Amino acid sequence: MLRDSPRSRLTLTVLVVLSVVLLVLDGRPGRDPVTAAARAGGELVFAPAAAGVGYVAAPVGDLYDTVRRAPGAADRIAELEEANAELEEELHAARLDEGRAEHLDELLHLSGLGGYEIVPAQAVTRTTPRGYADVATIDAGTESGIDTDMTVVNGRGLVGRVIEAGPRTATVLLATDVTSAVGARLESTRKIGVVTGGTVPGGPAADLTLELFDMEAPVEAGDRLVTLGSHEGAPFVPGVPIGTVEDVQVSPGALSRIAVLTPAVDFASLDLVGVVVAGPAEDPRDSVLPPKPDAPEREK
Amino acid sequence: MRSAVTLLAVAAVVLVQAVVVNRLPFGALSDGGPGPDLAVAAVVALALTTGPAAAAGWGFGIGLALDVLPPADHAIGRYALILCLAGYLVSLIHRNTGAPGGVGARTSRLFALGTVLVTALGVGLAYAGLGVLMGDPRTGLSDIAVAVGVGAGLTLAAAPLVTLPLLWLREALSDHEFATVQGPMSPRGW
Repeated sequence: MLRDSPRSRLTLTVLVVLSVVLLVLDGRPGRDPVTAAARAGGELVFAPAAAGVGYVAAPVGDLYDTVRRAPGAADRIAELEEANAELEEELHAARLDEGRAEHLDELLHLSGLGGYEIVPAQAVTRTTPRGYADVATIDAGTESGIDTDMTVVNGRGLVGRVIEAGPRTATVLLATDVTSAVGARLESTRKIGVVTGGTVPGGPAADLTLELFDMEAPVEAGDRLVTLGSHEGAPFVPGVPIGTVEDVQVSPGALSRIAVLTPAVDFASLDLVGVVVAGPAEDPRDSVLPPKPDAPEREK
Repeated sequence: MRSAVTLLAVAAVVLVQAVVVNRLPFGALSDGGPGPDLAVAAVVALALTTGPAAAAGWGFGIGLALDVLPPADHAIGRYALILCLAGYLVSLIHRNTGAPGGVGARTSRLFALGTVLVTALGVGLAYAGLGVLMGDPRTGLSDIAVAVGVGAGLTLAAAPLVTLPLLWLREALSDHEFATVQGPMSPRGW
């Protein structure tokens, strides 16, 4: 057999026991003072180092992005030019409608859209060493008023929720993580369901999957979803766009309806995000959703 | 001297893993997959140049440091436990079998890289196994296969930048010719 001195074995045993004790302490629900202190210590090192690297690496990152996007750049320019022409035309039309739109806005209380109070932050990490969890670290923490179970959004919609907050960094569980479940409401029919990250058992492969509780609820590709909102706005505030239904799965005998979603947020290019530190006074419903692309506002 | 320099080098490796490697967009390439794991590469280099107890200690320390640094995606202690065992086993097997470049001799570079690959696969499987034991719903069978395979490959690719310099450093700094010879064990194994 493999030989080893008793002293060496004892060292190993002590270290293994120590790891298991830490695992149990940290695995229990609720905050533990020992592991919380350890994480705070880790963050003390991480925050300045990450900021330094970010400062130094910014030009390199830009260069990488430029090179990566170069093949599609010509297409992109053509596309943008086309979009620009279209927008100019729209702007021209919009000016005519400006007066009317102002009154409409007032009428619909659309100003300020959702009425959230948001703390901006930058997503710092994107991968984890082992690659199972979909989490990101952001460069703002409790010093900026961020705490666990707060909703994280960006300009497009829901990013995820804060699962761990230190003084200057916080860990965000992305909506696409398998352990993430978000209460959702269909924009059109107001039916509720759950949006799970990844694939649900028996469902097709997807980034986000919607499970509707009502088997009879009409849902089809193109329907849009917003968050349902949780009790006192934690962990999710109501009315944040989650995504668009891409494909509805028809499975006879299933207990719920399953649909594949296209996320509203591009998780591959996560950069600037906002943490909702105070929810809206009242549910904004789906007023935060951008206008439907196939039915421009001005034609109504 | 040797320990102090090693400590500095290891701290640098851990920091690079946490603030540089983890923010590179590997996820965009392989759809949420893993990146290289410099910690495994460092633990192998240390385990090949020290005894089992010390290797377990290094593994524990490196693992704990990575557990504590953001992002907080798993319980503290999970990585410490696995790297501690990995360091111990690599060192124990290396010492007892008198594998190429055994006691006192210089470790073959190719052998070191092979050890990194095997260890990365083992660590990946152990991490996933511990996830299954702890009821982590992210560790499905297909996820494990992809994550372990891709992760080990990337770790191997990064190993020449971590394992080999660390090995060189530790061998260059051993004070005299027989610095790494352990008492009663024969150089030829058993």
